[in-house]
Order: sequence, then structure tokens, then C-alpha cells
Amino acid sequence: MSSEVEWPWQYNFPPFFTLQPHKETRVKQITAWKALILDYCGVNKICSIDLRETNEMSLFTNAAINRTLESSALLVILEELQNSGNAIPMDKQRQRWEIYWHTLEEFSQIIYNYVMNSNSLDMVLTIFELTESDDVANEEFYKLNSDVFIKVLRVLEKDNKCELILLEDSQGVKFF
Amino acid sequence: MRRRAGVGAIQKHKIAQEKYKDKGNEIQENQFEQMTKQLEVFRINLEDFATKHKNEIRKNADFRRQFQEMCATIGVDPLSSGKGFWSVLGIGDFYYELAVQIVEVCLATNEKNGGLISLSELRTRLIKARGQGKQHQEISMDDLICAAKKLKIFGSGFSVVSVGKGQYMVQSVPGELSMDHTAVLHQAASFGQAYASVNMLRTQLHWEEQRCSRALDHMLKEGLAWIDLQEPTEKRYYFPSMFTACINSK
Repeated sequence: MSSEVEWPWQYNFPPFFTLQPHKETRVKQITAWKALILDYCGVNKICSIDLRETNEMSLFTNAAINRTLESSALLVILEELQNSGNAIPMDKQRQRWEIYWHTLEEFSQIIYNYVMNSNSLDMVLTIFELTESDDVANEEFYKLNSDVFIKVLRVLEKDNKCELILLEDSQGVKFF
Repeated sequence: MRRRAGVGAIQKHKIAQEKYKDKGNEIQENQFEQMTKQLEVFRINLEDFATKHKNEIRKNADFRRQFQEMCATIGVDPLSSGKGFWSVLGIGDFYYELAVQIVEVCLATNEKNGGLISLSELRTRLIKARGQGKQHQEISMDDLICAAKKLKIFGSGFSVVSVGKGQYMVQSVPGELSMDHTAVLHQAASFGQAYASVNMLRTQLHWEEQRCSRALDHMLKEGLAWIDLQEPTEKRYYFPSMFTACINSK
């Protein structure tokens, strides 16, 4: 997968891949990692990260300087992402994580605004067309994983702004 | 028979003495008057000079350096006060302004370099911030050192550290750097790398291992260095303030 991420200077800074012991420095490090992970996932439309597969991701491994983010450090960063609503662990071992480059609440706003602006209220739309069609290619939620997308719609449903129609072979939604 | 001095003679003597004294006073007064006049002329000339060259002072780095040297030779510090006689020269103002801008740059970059910045990076950022005018661009390293040193009055919060080969760093966090810490920076700078390690310090400075790690760990605790544990042979202590990609980043 080709990434268009603009790597921050830290990505070439060897100690960026070692969790920093000094508190203030660590805060800076984690802040930079959070921003980089969300940026990378947003650009590459990655909705989940598995701690066992991070060696293969250029995000966590900079081959040029021979550094890989340790998984214990990544876990700390993911927990911070969870605190800000940008990640959720998918299993008890906290190995698989869902990543939200916008929080579910932010996504719900973005999607609702899109539906309003495209005059699609009160119409039944499929989740496929909302996430995969060319019409939404420039939207932030383009290629959003359908599980995540449904979670976002649940947020809107709670506010009575949409209704999910989940059938076995098709998933649709109506906004109002 | 020797005559004793009469009252007349004594009186005469006294009068003569008084005349001398008067004359003396007169001469003194004349001299004082002349000196005052000379000083006045000097002041007027200097003011003229200053008004005439005010722009030069702000614009020309060489001129400022020479002026500083001249003042140092005659034992005057034009920066010591923004008020009074010297203020007309605008020299103080120039450096105060520069000092404030230095503080601003230090604060703005603290986030990434932990409060340590090389003088050359400081200069680049400052010039960028000062705008396009030519007089804003010609800030010399001497100017910066001069202004940064003035910031010492705020206590140990600001200091200029020489790291060898004419390179300087400005520290803008509380907590003074000791000789050992300066030596560590010196080593990192002289290798053109942004890091130091125990081995490097032992070889180069012939320090005991303990002394090396104490100095390095202190800089880690001060937030000036980051540690890298992924080099197979040694722990490395990196200084973002010396790391090129960090220096060039926004």
C-alpha cells in the first residue's frame, strides 16, 4: 500500500522508537505518535491494527534507520488513543485494535453533514454506496470499514437522526 | 638686630595668600567650565552621530560589533540602561528587542527540543520571524550572543553555552548545565552526530563510566536528551536540538 503520509521529523529520530522514561519527553513522544498513527490510518484507510503484525507496517518500522516501535510502547500509545476516543481494543488480550482517525462522534457529524448537503435525507442509502462509491471518494469516511461505519450510525441513531436497516445480504440506512 | 615680623607683614602675607586662592579658584572654575563645555560638545556630537547613524546601528551588524568593542574599551555598557544618555543611541533598544525575540523562539521550539537550541537554528528562525526587510535580516551571531547574555538577569533560566568550534547553544530551561554537561554537548556536536554515549565519553574524555552515565542521565531527566535502546552495542542519548531533521522542521 502506497502511503502519502508526510513523515514527521521524529520518524527519522532513532529514540522515537524507544518509549521515553522522562515524563515530559514521553508526553511529547506519545502526542507525536498519536498524530502520526491517525494521519497514516486516515490516508491509507486502515481501520484496525494488530500488535502481532506491526513489523510489516512501515508506520511502525523505519527500515532506513533500523528501528521498530516496541509493542509494549505501542500498547501505551494505543491506550492513549483509546482515552481520546480514537481506538478501541477488539479482544481481551488487547492485541487487535480498531482505529478511528476521527472519533465516532466526529465521524457522525461529518457523515450527517454530507447527507444533508447532498439532499439525501429521508432516502434509503446502502452502506456500500456511502463508503465505497466514487461520489464519496473525497470524503473523510471513504473506505471506512463497514463495522466502524455501523458504529458511527449507531451514534446518530441514538439522536434519532437515522435508522439502520440491517438485512442479511444488504445494509442500508435512512437519515432524517 | 633682627626685627620680628610686624602686623603689616602678616597682613600682606595673608592678602597674598587669598589672592592666590582666588586665582586658583578662578582657574579651577575656568577648567570646569571648559570641561563641561567639552562634555556638552561631546554629547551633542554623539547624539548627532547617533541620530545620523541610528539606522546604521539597526541595520549593520559589523557596525554594532565595532561599537560594542569601542564601548567595552572605554568601560561603558550601552546596554546597562534603556534610560538616559545612552538610550538616544538606540543600541539598547535594538538588543532588548532581539532578546525578546530570542525568548519567543526558545518558547516556540521548546516543545521539540526541550529548551536547548543551537545558535544557528535560533538565528534562522529569528530571521524568518523578523520579516523580509534587509535590516531585519542582518543579525549576526555576535548580536545574538550579546542579547542572549543579557537574559542572564532572569537567573539560571537562560544561558549561552559554548560547545566548541565557534558553535553555541542557548539553554532556556531552569537548571544550570554543569561543566560535564557542556562537555557532553561539545562531544555530540564535534562528532556531527546528534547523540552521545557512555563509550564515546569514556574514549574521548577519559571519564569514569559512572561520571559518563551520571551526566547523560541528568540530561535525560532535564528533557534535553532522548534515549535510544535499539542500538545493539550501546545506549545512545540523542539531542533533538542537534538533529538536522528536527532543526529544519516547522
